[in-house]
Amino acid sequence: MATHDRPPSRLRWRTVDIVVLATVGAVFGLVFWIWNLTFAAVSGVFAVFPPSQAVMTGVWLLPAVLGGLIARRPGAALFCEVAAAVVSVLLGSVGGMAIILLGFAQGAGAEAVFAATGYRRWGTGAAMAAGVCAGATTTLYTLVTAYPTWPLSFMLAFGALTAVSGAVLAGGGSVLLHKALTRTGALASFRTAPGGAR
Amino acid sequence: MSASPGTRPAHGTPHGAEARPGGPAAAPPARAFLARTNPAAKVLAAVITTIALLPVLDPVGSAVVLAAGLALLPFSGVRARVLLLVGGPFLLMGASIGVVNWLFGDGGPLLAVGAAVRLMAIALPGVLVAMTSDPTDLADALVQRLRLPERPAMGVLAALRLIPLLAAQWRMLTLARRARGMEAGRNPAAAVAIFAGKAFALLVRSIRTGTMLAMAMDARGFGTGERSHARVSAWRAADTWFLVGTAVLLCAAHALGIAAGTWQMLFS
Repeated sequence: MATHDRPPSRLRWRTVDIVVLATVGAVFGLVFWIWNLTFAAVSGVFAVFPPSQAVMTGVWLLPAVLGGLIARRPGAALFCEVAAAVVSVLLGSVGGMAIILLGFAQGAGAEAVFAATGYRRWGTGAAMAAGVCAGATTTLYTLVTAYPTWPLSFMLAFGALTAVSGAVLAGGGSVLLHKALTRTGALASFRTAPGGAR
Repeated sequence: MSASPGTRPAHGTPHGAEARPGGPAAAPPARAFLARTNPAAKVLAAVITTIALLPVLDPVGSAVVLAAGLALLPFSGVRARVLLLVGGPFLLMGASIGVVNWLFGDGGPLLAVGAAVRLMAIALPGVLVAMTSDPTDLADALVQRLRLPERPAMGVLAALRLIPLLAAQWRMLTLARRARGMEAGRNPAAAVAIFAGKAFALLVRSIRTGTMLAMAMDARGFGTGERSHARVSAWRAADTWFLVGTAVLLCAAHALGIAAGTWQMLFS
């Protein structure tokens, strides 16, 4: 690799970016699998007003925001979320290809926010905005695939709650997770590590 | 990764399913047409099915596609026990979508059934791809046949190989906590706290493992230039016909829906 003549690019992907994001995606694929079961198990609680279960959506958006925060590279959010979706399908999530497309939509939502900052802002604000935007694409996709007959008021409530869940669980949750991960030293090969500058 | 195909001598076995390079250890039975189809063809078929069914709410057409997908099950080579295991959650998903659309939707029972059948028809092909494809074959096919970018595809495949390792580490984390006397007993709050702690420890463990794996891959020259392929993902005439058949089926499904008068665009 031509890393001797020029400093490593801020935007170029290294092998460790690819493999660690794929691994984080795989762990979240397992989490998705558990969360899918939990979601189905507690859906009775939300039966009074089904759109209210959208508050649980944020967990599915975590790898997108967290992936962006870890690698800080173009495509990191998209890649991590799609990897999680692919792994959860290969582990036997019953949504099949629809889940992978949903992963694309969610990853692209978060990615759009990071891209809009020119991949330069990675604070709590950017993370929460990414969670909201990933929630917006999720809303669009879920309403089209799963609940096309709902009245408009239900759809709007679903969208609003998904956005809140995306901001709090995926945005805020990712920031806390990233802080905790940095403290353990596991992210030593990334730019955010103390003293790390790649 | 699986053994390279060239090292396995063919002991006079006829070239059939068992001579397939790079395949899973247990050869699929001759009837398992779907397991022998190129994974790239299966992925493409699932994608065009999704695209064809998404914009339309049509119980009849969706039912035709779902029935065709179910008719492929005997040719999938998937054991009945696995089918039952996946079938339960699959039916539960369809039923819950149907009930929610029926009780809270504007379209009445027919459209609610349509929404449920449509979602199952969209989901089934992808589930079939996952159940009938070896992950290594799938990655090879996506890279060689569909020209997916190689480094990310191999990265996901490598991560997939770590999952059994992660399962072992999960057990170890459980034992370590038990040895230190951390048990929830009947307290659900403590159970959630212990679960979250274990999940975080697993995430840390997996990132460390992934970092080491990346170092090992770099040391072997991963991603430094053009790769050659040890396993060739072969595209056969049957794969092309499989795609043609899928397209014909989708056209027929839409035609039947229009003829039955149940076909309508979404949100119209």
